[in-house]
Amino acid sequence: MIKVDLHKCTGCKKCEVVCAFFHTGKVSNRLARIKVLNLYELGIDGPVVCIQCEEKYCLKCPEEALSLGSMGQIVVSPTVCTLCGVCEKACPMGAIEIYDDIVYVCDLCGGKPKCVEACTEGAITFAEGEHGSSLDAIQKETNKMSPNQKRLYYLKKLGASLREKWSRKHA
Amino acid sequence: MLEYGYGGKILRVDLTERTFEVEPLDSSWVKPVIGGRAANSKRLFEELDIKCDPLGPDNILIFGVGPLTGSFLTASAYFTVTAKSPLTGILGDSAAGGQFGAEMKLTGFDQIIVTGKADNLIYLLVTDDGVKFVDCPEYEGKKIVETTEEIRREQGDVAIQVAAIGPAGENCVAFAAIVSSGNRVNGRTGMGAVMGSKNLKALAVRGSKPVEFADPLAFLEENRKIDREILEHSEYTKRHNLGTTMLMKDLDSIGILPTNHFQEGVCAYVDEISGQKLASSFKVKNKSCFSCNVHCSRYYMADDQEAEGPEFETLCGFTSRIGNQSLPFALEMNAYLNQIGMDSISTSEVIGWIMECQEKGIIHPRDLAGFSITWGEKEKVRQIVDMIAFRRGIGDELAKGTKKLAERFSEEAQKLVMHVKGLDIICGDPRGIKAYGLTYAIASRGADHLRAEPYFELTNRKEEAKKRFGTEKAADRLEEEGKAALVSYSEKIALLTDCLTMCKNIGLCMDILSLERASSLLRAGTGLDYAPEYLAKILADAIDLDHAFNKRLGVTREDDTLPERFQKEPLTKGPTKGATVDIQKMVDEYYKIHLWED
Repeated sequence: MIKVDLHKCTGCKKCEVVCAFFHTGKVSNRLARIKVLNLYELGIDGPVVCIQCEEKYCLKCPEEALSLGSMGQIVVSPTVCTLCGVCEKACPMGAIEIYDDIVYVCDLCGGKPKCVEACTEGAITFAEGEHGSSLDAIQKETNKMSPNQKRLYYLKKLGASLREKWSRKHA
Repeated sequence: MLEYGYGGKILRVDLTERTFEVEPLDSSWVKPVIGGRAANSKRLFEELDIKCDPLGPDNILIFGVGPLTGSFLTASAYFTVTAKSPLTGILGDSAAGGQFGAEMKLTGFDQIIVTGKADNLIYLLVTDDGVKFVDCPEYEGKKIVETTEEIRREQGDVAIQVAAIGPAGENCVAFAAIVSSGNRVNGRTGMGAVMGSKNLKALAVRGSKPVEFADPLAFLEENRKIDREILEHSEYTKRHNLGTTMLMKDLDSIGILPTNHFQEGVCAYVDEISGQKLASSFKVKNKSCFSCNVHCSRYYMADDQEAEGPEFETLCGFTSRIGNQSLPFALEMNAYLNQIGMDSISTSEVIGWIMECQEKGIIHPRDLAGFSITWGEKEKVRQIVDMIAFRRGIGDELAKGTKKLAERFSEEAQKLVMHVKGLDIICGDPRGIKAYGLTYAIASRGADHLRAEPYFELTNRKEEAKKRFGTEKAADRLEEEGKAALVSYSEKIALLTDCLTMCKNIGLCMDILSLERASSLLRAGTGLDYAPEYLAKILADAIDLDHAFNKRLGVTREDDTLPERFQKEPLTKGPTKGATVDIQKMVDEYYKIHLWED
């Protein structure tokens, strides 16, 4: 999985930029499978990307277009996928999203994630073989939200605990 | 037809009629000005009624990005805002990094041109499809981050980026700023006041048109080289850790850190207000502009204050320049000015000027409705800032800018205003950095270093100086020789960074951008034939155009000068002791190089 150290993220979006570029030859946050939010009220910046959660909510695809790859990554079959949107709705953290008739989710770049290479701050690292924890706790809170709102909710939650640490240090 | 690099469209918004038009961007129009600042200037020159009131509906407010903005070119983050300046009455523009420029690029609009005046406070939401006019009378008085987050909530999209004004802009303070990305400031020349005069609280952008490249692999290859050079650069670690705040100690060490309003160039308490102190005591993490790998900015927490920044100018402006020894106070001012939207350089000049004039007895408190202030008086600084931003009492006069304010006082008082062409001077004493002095004098928006950023004179690269500028002295900060040649070169690269919307710390100070490299990036990015020789020519043309435009607005050769202090009063202490600037000599030489007669 791709691990995020929120404290080290500066909000530069290099990860987002290279993700879009190496997958599509173009640059746009819409085309990226890792999306960085800048939360100005909190001073928090951070990427949101699939953590290969314990529950794998997205795999409940009615068409069985989604499967688990050898590294634990989510694999989407574009020929089977009908763009029904169930996976997008199911993911509690907004890490899978349909945009312009394509399903965007982290594919771990075949084991050498470009975003990790691009991050000169070490805010994102590749933990091979590791999988993310449960998203059960936030699933109920976010299940009616758009992917965008889910990412915001998820990042705010992580950001809140980081801010506690900052405040303790600067109290 | 512009297929690559450029968004390819321009957007015209008429606030009076609440209408907008989308036009294709003509490639033959834009190619000779590339994008960013030069394209904005050209637009202004072609379309502005030069007699217009800068705060009237006829002034044209242009937001511009360039062909490589929002690409993965390192620090291709900037956007420029241009209009006739309410502070100086001449060409006004100001650029800022952060995230706004990259998101604006995705709307497909290379320029957003705003005219007219809305009948009440509104904000604009610009997407690929055009404009939504949103009334927001309830936003009156709202600060920047509050405005940003409120718009995001209202529109239900956290990826929206917002460039907004605070109360200072709404109140048309002549040096009001536009602020985006929370704390990223288009500070200079009062672009926030122009927004305020149009009743435009904010410009919000959210796009989906990707940046495309004519030759993606060539673009990638050139960027790999750039990134390698940056990461291996001798200044990388220092810039990463301290950003521009490193200049507090650096400038003090060469005796040019403005102290007590440029009366001295060394500061006894510099360790207490330095970038190093900020990093060790208050910084919580690094911050960055879009697609940059220097990450030179910072987020800090101090007492109950938190914000991004400050950059060197704000830090120096609210410490040594006004005689304040308290770093937390400067941090408080940084956060506050960014949230009310007021330029820290001009604000600190107004304050420092009053402090010096009162110290010398040139201005009596009775001349300022009983107001008195001296070096480092924190509570008084707080008061004066609010008087200006909300135009209370004498603040109403102060809000017109230091030069106009001084016109009410004696000649002696006027001489102490540290400005060129009405724009307040930045924090760097030109007596010890001669090429910067020349840059302040000739810069087309008034006293400004960013028009040329001749950092080269501080690098001691003597051989390179001889090769590039014909004399080793070009690399000696105290020499005047060779500086006109240096500035004439670096003003082109500075303009180039502004057109590529790249950061000058990287493009110029770290010497990453050259004509050859820009040529390669532009060719791969846009598919247009930008040869290095062609670039040199069009940059020179654009500089000539700025000069001609200001002439039409009444600027003369006599205005290309420095305040008397820098020409006649030698500094009395430190490594720049005894130095003054022979500005006329350098300006003459600079005019000769440009083949300008007046």
